Order: sequence, then structure tokens, then C-alpha cells
Amino acid sequence: MAIQGIILLVIFVAVLAAFGYIVRLLYRLLRKGVDEDRFGQWAQRVNSVVVFVGAQARVLAQPAGIGHFLIFWGFIFITLGTIEHILGMIFPGFGFEQIFGTKATGALSWLQDVFGILVIGSIIVALFRRFILKPERLKIDDPKARREATLILGLIFVLILLMYGFRGTAILMDPGEVSRAAAPLSHYAARLMSGWGMNLPIANGIFAWIHHLIIFFFLIYIPFSKHIHILGAIPNVFFRNLGPMGTLSRMDFEDESAEKFGISEIQEFTWKQLLDLYACTECGRCQVACPAYLTEKPLSPFRVIHNLRGHLMDERKRLLSAGGDGDASPQIIPETVTEDELWACTTCGACMQECPPFIEHVQKIVDLRRFLVLTESRFPSEMQPVFKNMEVNYNPWALGYASRADWVGDMPVPLAAEKKSFDVLYWVGCAGSFDARGQDVSRAVVGLLQRAGVDFAILGTEEMCCGETARRMGNEYLAQTLIESNIETFKKYEFKMLVTACPHGLNSFRVEYPQFGYEIPVLHHSEFLLDLIRSGKLRADGIEKARGAYHDSCYLGRYNGIASQPRDILRHIPRLGLAEFPRREKRSFCCGAGGGRMWMEETLGTRINEARVEEFLGLGADHIFVACPFCMTMFEDGLKAKEREDIKVLDIAEILLAACKTNTDSP
Amino acid sequence: MKIITLLKRAPDTEARILINREGTGIQEEGVKFVISTYDEYAVEEGLRLKEKMGGDSKVTVVCVGPEEATEMIRTALAMGADDAVHICDPAIKESEPFITAAVLAKAIKDNGFDIIFCGKQAIDDDMAQVQSILAEMLDIPQVNVATSFEISESGDKAVLRRRIEGGDEKVETQLPVIISCEKGLNEPRYASLPGIMKAKKKEIRTKALADLGMADAQGEIRSKILKWLPIPKGGECKVVEGEDVPTAVKELVRLLREEAKAL
Ligand SMILES: Cc1cc2nc3c(=O)[nH]c(=O)nc-3n(C[C@H](O)[C@H](O)[C@H](O)COP(=O)(O)OP(=O)(O)OC[C@H]3O[C@@H](n4cnc5c(N)ncnc54)[C@H](O)[C@@H]3O)c2cc1C
Ligand code: SF4
Ligand code: SF4
Repeated sequence: MAIQGIILLVIFVAVLAAFGYIVRLLYRLLRKGVDEDRFGQWAQRVNSVVVFVGAQARVLAQPAGIGHFLIFWGFIFITLGTIEHILGMIFPGFGFEQIFGTKATGALSWLQDVFGILVIGSIIVALFRRFILKPERLKIDDPKARREATLILGLIFVLILLMYGFRGTAILMDPGEVSRAAAPLSHYAARLMSGWGMNLPIANGIFAWIHHLIIFFFLIYIPFSKHIHILGAIPNVFFRNLGPMGTLSRMDFEDESAEKFGISEIQEFTWKQLLDLYACTECGRCQVACPAYLTEKPLSPFRVIHNLRGHLMDERKRLLSAGGDGDASPQIIPETVTEDELWACTTCGACMQECPPFIEHVQKIVDLRRFLVLTESRFPSEMQPVFKNMEVNYNPWALGYASRADWVGDMPVPLAAEKKSFDVLYWVGCAGSFDARGQDVSRAVVGLLQRAGVDFAILGTEEMCCGETARRMGNEYLAQTLIESNIETFKKYEFKMLVTACPHGLNSFRVEYPQFGYEIPVLHHSEFLLDLIRSGKLRADGIEKARGAYHDSCYLGRYNGIASQPRDILRHIPRLGLAEFPRREKRSFCCGAGGGRMWMEETLGTRINEARVEEFLGLGADHIFVACPFCMTMFEDGLKAKEREDIKVLDIAEILLAACKTNTDSP
Repeated sequence: MKIITLLKRAPDTEARILINREGTGIQEEGVKFVISTYDEYAVEEGLRLKEKMGGDSKVTVVCVGPEEATEMIRTALAMGADDAVHICDPAIKESEPFITAAVLAKAIKDNGFDIIFCGKQAIDDDMAQVQSILAEMLDIPQVNVATSFEISESGDKAVLRRRIEGGDEKVETQLPVIISCEKGLNEPRYASLPGIMKAKKKEIRTKALADLGMADAQGEIRSKILKWLPIPKGGECKVVEGEDVPTAVKELVRLLREEAKAL
């Protein structure tokens, strides 16, 4: 072993030890988080890694992702080559060829060579984007984050050049080193360098040494930079939420002596929530999908994650020191995340939908909201009457609960209390009960159910708010009170399924009530009505010619994957033309009402609903079709603000009923 | 400082109030009850005063009301009041202001007090008498419809503002005093969850009239409600529509003459 090999071996071992130490530190830091069960469903977890890491499925959802794909795979092939090279320098004569054979090694060499140039190309494009195009999604107001990204891109660029440098000089020293077929670009580099008159062994050594030292620097530097995602993203994809999207954790209120609820300190997050912070690639995709960010509100999901990671790293010494728990723990709010950021979130889930490493933003935001509401009782003043109304009258409006079923008027709508046993419990919801347009929709739904001869009932004044809004506003205590009361009521009656026209109720009953021990099939009215059409119980004979676009509600299209059903209903209506929003289905754009935002002032930035209305106005259609009472309100308000009240907003049930009414013989 | 806040259980302002068949009260079935709104301002102001005074200041909620009023008392305790006196006796079910005030006066005297906050009126019967009768019975000054409150450094005087026609009146008063609170005085807090949990363990001293040494409250009745009557239904409103004004006016005149018989 030459002296150079010994020195390299010593450094290599030292760096590996340091790297091991850092990884252990990161692991110990994770373990400071609270337990969370993300174990089980192993096959699906492995599959996630294959699809979302290996094939980079989400990364490739945007063209810029191609660059990442190339750098990612280039990094893997080149790292394998680098390991071989380092071992070869330490143990002269070592090569993968002896272990894996000529064919495999030749293939690896070829991949290294070709990906090298592809990586260079990708980095030039990346730097061009970063410095010339400056897309909104890479914007972050932390200069350190920008410096880091640039430094790492620059170093990778240099690394590749150095790789061609040492591979090329090796070829010049020994043309038989690697065939032209297995290293076309290194051979080309060799030809270029042949005229430079370098001392080949020295040049080769310098190239290799600088290259390897940069790699070693990376190993130490990366865990403290945004490239920590190289370590964090794969496990994060592996441990991703395989259940329904954005289901909030159930809080436990058993301990009556508890002084604190929700999260205000970093170590109160679960280990998986902390792993999320390691996984962020700072790609900014969440940012440019976020309705709050896009309307100039102080929230960016990207920045929330970035700042939380910075905070975690700042606190690591305190957290890991022996008795560290005793020290005064710094509060996350307001230094790391501000109240304005937290309250700006509509919980639309667009960030989670876009995020390549499957970071779960909404639970964190709600955890912090929970602290503000439950422990501190600190929230925008307009929220207090909403909570009070829900407590006293079981709806967010300041309207008496006794008038919950007044929308029925003189329609013969059976009450569950009278019928006891029936097929369908039609959940009207707060908006369907109290909002004027919501009531129109309820009457339309009832009209359709009656036309189709469905055996149904409503709860009437026994129905209480489903608790979804309170839950997402952080008032878990109030939410659970409502949830438990509703479950009690459900249990009194015998029915086969719940049908509702409210996506928030739907999501609540479908994925959150089971946390409280109540499970029943839950259908959105679009699903149920489509079944009625398909089974011939409803027939749409058409309307006057109209052209409309269907808006996907977050809790329908994104959270519950219900996007084709409402569209199929509309397609069943003759003479109705359909336009499509550019942002739609799972990647739709929020109306602005979710997460309790419906009940808060929108004083910061511009208005989300108006942004969505503008998107609609570009389509040249005359109807907006919705399947959510809150979207209805937001669109009607947005159209009013844009003075475009000539455009009609209709729920799919309303347009379907209108189309059915043209035939007098039922169905 | 011993701070008393009065609290009345009253039907929610959104409740659909129906008078019972006998006309002796309302049908309680299906009616949600809450803390009478102005009493929430009273509780909040009491809590703020306590926070300002510190030391061994204490906020005691005093309520005359049925058993169900415990729920409202717990809410005030969850907001941060320290304890409560709940005078609950079937004999005072059909209370009127004089009896209520007499009972409150006795309970408050037994407890001791430096300052009393109450609502400017109860949101159910809107009488706004209790505070004044109580002031007389306790022989202390009263300031009604307060929209701001400030205690002096020494804690024995207070400066208040009261909203009156066209302006504010600034008043200085000695303690002890009874202050009835108006909207705008403060923003009542929303009870935190630790507050709600703690409230479950706070003491509510439930007392019957006998415990106050008042055997017969009925004897003190000064006024009696004869009958409760529903508000007569208002006439229907008709809107004359149409772009063409002269035609619309003609139609209006016709309606006034033929239907309303007003002309
Ligand atoms: C500024 C002002 C102007 C007025 N103008 C007129 C007028 O123009 N015409 C007219 O006819 N009358 C007028 N009045 C008189 C008034 O309308 C009523 O007759 C009378 O004041 C109503 O008293 P009350 O018993 O309803 O008080 P309440 O409504 O009973 O309550 C006042 C407060 O006393 C406390 N309290 C009451 N009951 C209880 C209980 N059971 N337990 C604990 N605490 C309790 C609460 O803090 C409550 O907020 C006026 C009064 C005031 C103060
Ligand atoms: S849930 Fe929606 S509003 Fe909230 S941070 Fe994510 S994208 Fe933004
Ligand atoms: S949270 Fe996800 S989408 Fe947002 S910047 Fe980080 S990796 Fe990208």
C-alpha cells in the first residue's frame, strides 16, 4: 500500500466515522420525537420507494423534475464508481471487475460516463433556472438556503469535471484502462487533455484527490444542509402515510391534570414529523401550489418546513444533552412559525399532493393551531363566535339549532326519529341547513331522492355540526364533543349508508369518525346520484344549452379522489358542454374556505376565491358547477367582487334536478 | 381583593322562544341556555381586575338559578374564576328582581366583597333592576352601563366610562361598588382547555335559602308577572316590483287603497 493510499485510507475511515456519528446524531434527534405507528404494510412501503424514489414519480410530475431524475441516478452510478476508485487507490489493483465481472463493470462505467454529462447539463439548467428564470417556486427569503443550493450545485458540477479529469488521465496513462465503448466521454476527455502537456500521474492524482476530498466534505456538510434530504427522503417515502390523505391525529383528553395541549416545542412532534423535516428537498413545489402563498399571504408550506428544520438543528445540542429536557424549551410560535402563517392555511392539502418526499404539512399546522386554541386560547377574534355558535347551536352560524330543519318548508321530508329504519341517512350539514344557497341544494337533493324513490330520512334538529371545521381550526375538544354526540345519534337509527352533499362532512364521516369507533359506508351525493342515473332511477332529459366548468373541492377531488363522478353526472345531461379548469382533480386549487378560513377575515394579501374566479373567467364558460356548499359561497362572492353575476354557480344536484324536471313522467 | 361577578342563566339569543300554554313562562324544551351575554363581560372584567391586582385576589361567581345553571357557572370557572356560590332553591323559581337581589345581597355579604361586576341587563327579561336593588340593599354606590373600567393604584377607587346619549360620561367611584357592564367593555375570553379541566375541580358552594338564613323568599315579592303573551304576528311585507316607475306607483296606490285600505 503506497503512502498515498494510507493517507486516503485514514481520511476515508475518519470521514466515514464522522458521517456515522452524524447519522447517529440525526437518528437520536428523531428519537426525541413522540412515538407514532408507521410500521406494517411493508410491501406497500417498499413499493412506494420503488415508485417515488426509484422512478421519481412525483418529481417527474413537472418538467424541471427531469433534471433531478438525472442528477439522482447520476449520483448513484457515480458514487458507485467513486467507491471503486477510492478503494483502488487504497488497495492498488482493486476493481469491481474482479467481483462483478467485466460486463457489469463495463455497464456501470458506461452509466457513470453518460450520466456525468447528463448531470452537467442538468446543473446548467438548474443554475439557469435559479439565477436567470428565478421561478416563484424556488423563492425563499433565507439567503442561507440560496447559498447552500448554489454551493452544492456548483460542487457537483466541479465533481463531474474532476471525474472526467481522473478518468481521462488514467486512459492517457494506460489506454487499456477502460474501453471506448464503456467510457465514451472519458475517452473524449482524454483526447482533449492529451495536448495539454500535463504530468499525467500528478494530474491524475490531483484530480482524484480533489474529487474525493469534495466527496468527503459532502458527507460531513450534507446532513446540515438542505441536501439532508439525501438521507431523509428515502425513509420518509418509506414511512409515508399509506392511509387516507391528511387524516388528523386523534387527541386524548383523558388526563384531566394536563396543562398543555397541542404542540409548541419541536420535540413534541412525532419522530415521523421530524423525519419530514429531514426530507424536504426545498423544491418549492408546495409553495407554488399553496393558495395562501399565491395570494400573498405570509404562509408558504416550504418555508414552514424549512424554518422548522432550522429550528430543530439549532436545538439539537439542547435536545441531545443528557438532562436537556429540563431547560426552558424555545417556543415554535412566533419565532419559527408565526400565527399569521398558521391561520392562513386552508388545509387544502395541495402542498402534500405536490411534495415529492411526501411531507405532511397539514398535521403540523393543525398541531400548532391546537396549541394556540386549546392551551393559549389565542386565535383571530372572529373565530370565537364560531366556536360559541358550534357549542350552543351546533352550527357555525349564529342561528338557533331549533331552526335546523326549517329549509324543508312544506316538502314531505321524513325524519329519522319518525322512521327509525331506512336505507339512506341524508346528512344535510350546517350549510345545507342554514345557508340560503345551501338550502336550495338540500331541496334539490331531496327532490332527486324522492324522484328516484329512495328510502331516506334526515336527522332534522338532531343533526349537529360534523366537527370538521372545529377540528381543522384546532379546536379538537369541541370537535370531539360534536363527533361523539353525532355518533350517539347515528346509533339510535338503522340505516345502510350516509349520503351528504358536503365534502367536509364526507371526509369527516369517511375517514375521521372511524377514529372514534363509528364506521358506515359514506357516499358523496355525486357518487350516489350517479348510481341512481346508471341504474335508470333518474333520467336527465337536458336543459337549455349551457357550458360550464366543474370545480373540484379539495376534500372531494384531492382528499377523497372523487373527481370523475360529478363530471359523469354532468356528461349525462344533454346539451351541457363541459370546460375544464387548468388546475383540477387532485391538483385543483382551493376556493379559500377550508380549514375554517370560511369563518375568518381574509385581510392579508389578495383573495383566494377571486384568484379561482379569474381562472374560471379564462375558460369562457357561463356556469360554475360545484359539489360543496362552501365552494358555492366562495364562488358567488368572488363573482360578485368581479361583477360577473351573469355567471351562475350551481351544485351538481341543482343542475341535475333541472335536467330531470324536463321530463314529467318520472323518473 | 374580593371580586364578585354575578351570573344569570338565560336562553340563548338565537333560541326560538315559545310561551307556555298557561302564559306563566316559556317552553324550556328545545331551548339552549347560556350565560346572559352581559354577564360574560362582567366575568371577564373581574378576571382582568384579578390579574392586575395579583396577590390573593379572588373572583367568586354568584348565581341564583336552577340546577342547570351549574353548566354556565363551570364555564365562568373555566374562564378563570376561582370559585362560585350557587343559590339554588325551588322556592325562588319564579323569581322577580327584588327577591333575586335580596338573595344575592345575603350571599354576597356572607362571602365578603370589595367590588361586584354584573351585566347591564339580563338578556331574557331585560329588566335591568337587580344591580340597582342590590346596590341599595348593600348600601354601596352603583355605576351602570360601564364601557371602560380602571382601578386606581391604591385599589380603593375606580374610574369608569358610561356610554350615554351622544357621548361618554366619566365617573369616579369609591370601592366597594357594583358595576353593570355594557358591550364594548372588553372581549370575553374563550376558556382554554386546561381552564376547562381545572374548572371541573373548582368549588361551587350550592346553597338553599335556608343556608342563607332566609326561610321564606316568597314573602318579599313586590311585583308579579300576570301573564306572558306572544308578540302579535306582524303583517306581511309586499314589494312592488318593476322597472317602470309610474306603473309601479299606480300599483302601489291601488294596493294601499284596495288591500291595505289605508287611503
Ligand atoms: C340605563 C337604563 C335605562 C332604562 N330605561 C328605561 C325606560 O326607558 N323605560 C323603562 O320602563 N325602564 C327603563 N329602565 C329600567 C329597566 O328596563 C328595567 O326595568 C330594569 O332595569 C330591569 O332589571 P332586571 O331585573 O332585568 O335586571 P336583570 O335583567 O335581572 O339583571 C341585571 C344583572 O343582574 C344580575 N342578575 C340578574 N339575575 C341574576 C341571578 N338570578 N343570579 C345572579 N345574577 C343575576 C346579572 O348580572 C344581570 O346581568 C332602564 C334601566 C337602565 C339601567
Ligand atoms: S394545506 Fe393548502 S393552504 Fe395549507 S399550506 Fe398546504 S397548500 Fe398552503
Ligand atoms: S415540503 Fe415538499 S414540496 Fe415543499 S419544498 Fe419541501 S420537498 Fe418540496
